[in-house]
Amino acid sequence: MSAHHHNEDIQSLYEGDQSKLYSGIMNHHTDINSQESKKQIKRIWAVTGLLSIVTIAEVAIGLGAYYAGVHNNLIITIFLILTLVKAAYIVKVFMHLGDERKNFVFAVLMPLSLFIWFIIAFLADGSFWLHMNKTQADTKKVEQVSH
Amino acid sequence: MTQATTANVKAERWSGGQSPYNVSYGKIMMWFFLLSDALTFGALLISYGTTRFASEVWPNPNEVFHSFPVISSLTDTPLPLMFVSLMTFILILSSVTMVLAVHAGHYGDKKGVIKWMLFTIIGGICFLACQAWEWTHLYHTGAWWGSFIDAPLDTVKHLFDFSKPGVTEALAVNPGAASAATHDFYNYFFTITGFHGAHVTSGVILNIMLLVNTVNGVYERRGHYEMVEKVGLYWHFVDLVWVFVFTCFYLL
Repeated sequence: MSAHHHNEDIQSLYEGDQSKLYSGIMNHHTDINSQESKKQIKRIWAVTGLLSIVTIAEVAIGLGAYYAGVHNNLIITIFLILTLVKAAYIVKVFMHLGDERKNFVFAVLMPLSLFIWFIIAFLADGSFWLHMNKTQADTKKVEQVSH
Repeated sequence: MTQATTANVKAERWSGGQSPYNVSYGKIMMWFFLLSDALTFGALLISYGTTRFASEVWPNPNEVFHSFPVISSLTDTPLPLMFVSLMTFILILSSVTMVLAVHAGHYGDKKGVIKWMLFTIIGGICFLACQAWEWTHLYHTGAWWGSFIDAPLDTVKHLFDFSKPGVTEALAVNPGAASAATHDFYNYFFTITGFHGAHVTSGVILNIMLLVNTVNGVYERRGHYEMVEKVGLYWHFVDLVWVFVFTCFYLL
């Protein structure tokens, strides 16, 4: 691919508006009614259906758990997994990240792994603060007594 | 193309004169901006989680959010999760119409782009209207930034689920915890949904600008609809954030 990129006629496209190179010249789609186009549209609606079903499932589980008085780690895990499934489909199909080159997909997704540490660390912090407040809240009184 | 080794191909890819990602500069920058915005929203949501974990008691979202426009003024039956589910569907559908607009743009179908952009804008405005109703309704129950500071337990008792283990005991020892938690809850709710709403608003404005440009033939002359794609990425991000806000505030 790089061998083609030094011709005079498209050199001007590198300066300034690069988008012409990656969306204008490279795109060869012309017929919105073609089979290829119809297939892509079908896929979009299929993912829409999936997102709707997952959302309905989340709401159903939420309501069911509320009326049954259940709220435990299993329910929380289910919600998080379903939410991540929705997020994955939106990013992969709607935002077309699934169609991009692999090195770009990684460039976008790798920084998000920071969230893994972020979430664990701060929820652990919160629990620790609760524990400290419950067991160490009267240290001030203890200090006053020892003077 | 000569017989390039893997190392040579990599060096060529990053030697300039082409995008190493095979994506235009503008699109790359939009993705990187979305990454930064994701970390900002992540910080807000994780902060909410930390405060919640550090609190002995916390309002039950099914008790806080149980109203629906019009229907709730006709019946006393609580309708938990219903209105927010409607809002989620509206935003997801507007995301779908945006994808279809981008698709039409790929095929140079100007009429299709106009049609789907119109639906997207309407969807965005509907979502904002719903959020405005939710905010107004909550405001009329006394909720706002800085509300429920040192409020008597009776004014916030209805927001808590006493069948949950530990709640009754915790409030017997420290009744002020209910008011403090309610205060924190509403501060986070209005801040995070407000910040998200600001993104939706700016997204709607950008979409309107896209529509005007499309109608005027700006992208037709340019030869591609990549601008629709880039703003589409922003719009999908807004939808993504809502998916997480919905989960954190209403489900977990």
